Amino acid sequence: MDRIIRAYSRLIESNLDRPELVKSLIRFGLEVGKVWVDHFNRNGIPPSLRYLNSICFQFILEPLRHPENSGFVNLLAPAEILHSMDIYPMFIEAYSSFVSGFYCEDIFIDRAESRGLSGTLCSYHKTFLGSLEYSVLPRLKFAVTSSILCDGNSNTFKYISKSYKIPYYIVDVPYEYSEEAVRYVTSQLREMISMIESATGRRFDIDRLREVIRTENETRGYQRLCIERLKDHSMPNTLTFEMYKLFVTHPEMGRKETLEFFKLLSEDVLKYPDGGYRIFWVHILPYYLYPVQKHLNFNDEFKLIGSDLNFDYLEDLDEKRPLEAIARKLILNVNNGDFRRKIENIKRLVTDLRIDGVIHFCQWGCRQSFGGVMLLKRELEKLNIPFLIIDGDGVDRRNSPEGQINTRLSAFLEMLTGRGKR
Amino acid sequence: MTGYVCKYTPNLIIESFGDRTLRIEPEVSSCEIADGLTHPNMCSYARLVLEECLGKHIDKIVLVNCCDAIRRLYDILKAEPSVKFIHIVDLPRKRDVIDRIRFKNEIIRLIESYQKSFDVNFSAEALRNLLNSSVSTTKKEYGDINIAIIGGRSRRSLEKMIEEFGGNVIYNLTCTGTVPPFRPVGSLFDPVEAYADILLDSYPCMRMDDIDERLDIIEEDKRIDGVIYHTVKFCDLYSYEYAMIRDRIRVPILKLETDYTDNSEGQVRTRVQAFIESLKRDSNKRMVTVTGRKDIVIGIDSGSTSTSAVIIDSNKSILGYSIVPTGAKSIESAEKALEIALKSAGISKDDASLIVATGYGRVSIPFANLEVTEITCHARGAFFLDNSVRTIIDIGGQDSKVIRIDENGNVIDFIMNDKCSAGTGRFLENMSRVLDIPVDRMGEESLKWKEDIEISSMCTVFAESEVITLIAKNKEKSDIIHALNKSITRRVASLIEKVGGVKNYMMTGGVAKNTGVVRCLEEKIGEKITVPKEPQIVGSLGAALSGLEKLSDKIDF
Ligand code: SF4
Ligand code: SF4
Ligand code: SF4
Repeated sequence: MDRIIRAYSRLIESNLDRPELVKSLIRFGLEVGKVWVDHFNRNGIPPSLRYLNSICFQFILEPLRHPENSGFVNLLAPAEILHSMDIYPMFIEAYSSFVSGFYCEDIFIDRAESRGLSGTLCSYHKTFLGSLEYSVLPRLKFAVTSSILCDGNSNTFKYISKSYKIPYYIVDVPYEYSEEAVRYVTSQLREMISMIESATGRRFDIDRLREVIRTENETRGYQRLCIERLKDHSMPNTLTFEMYKLFVTHPEMGRKETLEFFKLLSEDVLKYPDGGYRIFWVHILPYYLYPVQKHLNFNDEFKLIGSDLNFDYLEDLDEKRPLEAIARKLILNVNNGDFRRKIENIKRLVTDLRIDGVIHFCQWGCRQSFGGVMLLKRELEKLNIPFLIIDGDGVDRRNSPEGQINTRLSAFLEMLTGRGKR
Repeated sequence: MTGYVCKYTPNLIIESFGDRTLRIEPEVSSCEIADGLTHPNMCSYARLVLEECLGKHIDKIVLVNCCDAIRRLYDILKAEPSVKFIHIVDLPRKRDVIDRIRFKNEIIRLIESYQKSFDVNFSAEALRNLLNSSVSTTKKEYGDINIAIIGGRSRRSLEKMIEEFGGNVIYNLTCTGTVPPFRPVGSLFDPVEAYADILLDSYPCMRMDDIDERLDIIEEDKRIDGVIYHTVKFCDLYSYEYAMIRDRIRVPILKLETDYTDNSEGQVRTRVQAFIESLKRDSNKRMVTVTGRKDIVIGIDSGSTSTSAVIIDSNKSILGYSIVPTGAKSIESAEKALEIALKSAGISKDDASLIVATGYGRVSIPFANLEVTEITCHARGAFFLDNSVRTIIDIGGQDSKVIRIDENGNVIDFIMNDKCSAGTGRFLENMSRVLDIPVDRMGEESLKWKEDIEISSMCTVFAESEVITLIAKNKEKSDIIHALNKSITRRVASLIEKVGGVKNYMMTGGVAKNTGVVRCLEEKIGEKITVPKEPQIVGSLGAALSGLEKLSDKIDF
């Protein structure tokens, strides 16, 4: 399989002067990928995860199949609004991950850097911008982002909007929660909606949004049930599945498929008893890194219980006032504002889920996360939870020193076994 | 004393309480305290501020919710017991009416928080007076070579340096340069509201949503001769802008990236000087004393690994030259190179009219009458050897550079890789040690490669461990060297792409002797690369030629 993908990557590389062809190659590769995950590749994988695999391919393909009816978003954009208008979001971090799945990230990253983009910029953004520079990215109708999570977002979206001459909107989310802040965000959401309406010619209907929010609330109910059940169960898991969950916990929240997934997941959890050391991951996961895969994918001794980004907001939204509810959700996201909010959330999860060890992945160039890593370490030490920091890159293989990562991770897991379970 | 870092900080609020404020300009050059509190890849500026605040006991700090680095800086400082007052101002990204109201409320939050912490009362009148006394009408005068500095924050020393080399800084539009456009605030207006407006109307930085205005000044002022774009290492905000505008700016642009300490001062000087030299083209008005009897000029290139000297006469014929390794003291190596070259030319030092120094060590050669940067010198030398050359690739011991020249041999753009040793001679030297093969045999050896292997890391440290792994796997030396060459080539090719390299290409510097690297690079860029017979003397030859130009152009002396 790996060999085929690498050959495919060379095919893409040798055709970069024909962007339309590359665009189709990428799409075709993903279409084949979807057929593969739907029909083969099913050995021993729980039904919920098989379903997740399939819908994630669907989610990445939708905007490629229907660019005239899609927009670019980031992880924390208010995508519910898009769903209520039947518009497909292209989630840029996911696009970069899929490109890296084709082993093509380096050519796009080099291209972005040769345009003058900084070598230290996060490679999720660089891969994306490099594809843009090679014009292999489809030209969608608009781009929307929120200011939360990292600086890259607002600038990457400005960049897309300038190069592709498409409208863009940034929802500027205040640092702290207040009623004034909710009003401020709500009024921006309204502006954003009228931008999307004029970019796509579609009409926004608040009742449709209410429907999406009802689905979202039902889904959150199942998600909270999963967490409850995970307290004394565990689930087979992989780095890739944990990354896939970002789709369903963020830009695809509010869709029927997402609801179905969490339903299946809540049933699957009950099938697997607790056992082994329970590992919690902080920040994105380097799905391709062999040393980490070896230790954590479908492993009975060390179980990857979850990752913090998938639990950054778990509350129900008020369907009576949907825009205000989305505004509140953005402001109260634990990744907004003071870093304490994120730390407290992790501490709560680690305690509730009876975690034995926490691994923090310092994504190359991601200052928002690694900037606070020592604060988090200090707090977890107080709880007597072993904490490991790994430096690497979730997209660019060249920034992940495998040997070093292997040594650090193995030593950490050995240490956990030495300590015994909590 | 309260410290702050951003031009959007409402620091006059703090001053209206009778406190003094200080824009933090870190002077520390290492980050011992900060290293224990955050990650080494944080933006260097934020780390230095952390170090400065904790090391120099700045215990009252007002930050602005600027970027990820500053937000985490706030979190870290807030957790430090020694910090007495720390506040973050939530700056809106837009400038509509609702944003102005929001910002005014943010300023009120700052007032309340300061009042509470120090049990003092705010006086609107005191603020009004401060605002009114900040109104200023003086504008900077134009000079001969007018430079605009844009980009992220830059150190004060950069402005001084530009002026020292004869540039006139007409705009400093970085975080540290611009002053908000103060307007008088009459007694009928609320000074807090007026202040919020004044600050939001500052020249927008890259954090703001509408950044189109940023370029307007540069595009509209036709008297700007050059732009220096400065960014801080590990700060990415501004690289976006650089990528978006570099093709739009009609004047030459120099991109500088520093870590905000003195550490890179030497390199920055070279690049700024070369840039201003290229703007002045033929108007170097420096006074030089001519001593010798004959029209003989000596060029010395004091590089990090080797020093060379070239002697030419007024007909531009080379009378003699030398190449020696650079020892611990660059002056001793320069003397030695000079001595050997004089001997080979059969003349004495007193016969020479002019000695011109170039290279890293050029500033520490006391017997030189003139210094010219290696950028200009490599361009001169290469163009003299072959006037069809348009792109020069110089891979030296410690840096690599790519220089673009026009059909008259003038530098039109250049780029240097000076961040790390990847893609330089030093990198090969380190690897030759690991592989146990002399450097000068690596080129030939690599041509025997059979298996195409990859070394993915470009960083010396990681690449070294990859090489060790490959040796352990019993890979052939020639294959490993070939992989190393490809890794260097990737770096250099990206530099070539960045300056928009065009043929014909020439490669200079020690690494040009390594046929393996040259071959790989030719393949990568799909063009032929000429290598002069003595690639290591191109810089000193260029220095001598620059000297000769000075001699012939007597009015310059
Ligand atoms: S990894 Fe960090 S910098 Fe990169 S997109 Fe995610 S939050 Fe932003
Ligand atoms: S980038 Fe903007 S907000 Fe940040 S320090 Fe500079 S001027 Fe202030
Ligand atoms: S230099 Fe860049 S990353 Fe650092 S504090 Fe300033 S804007 Fe932020």
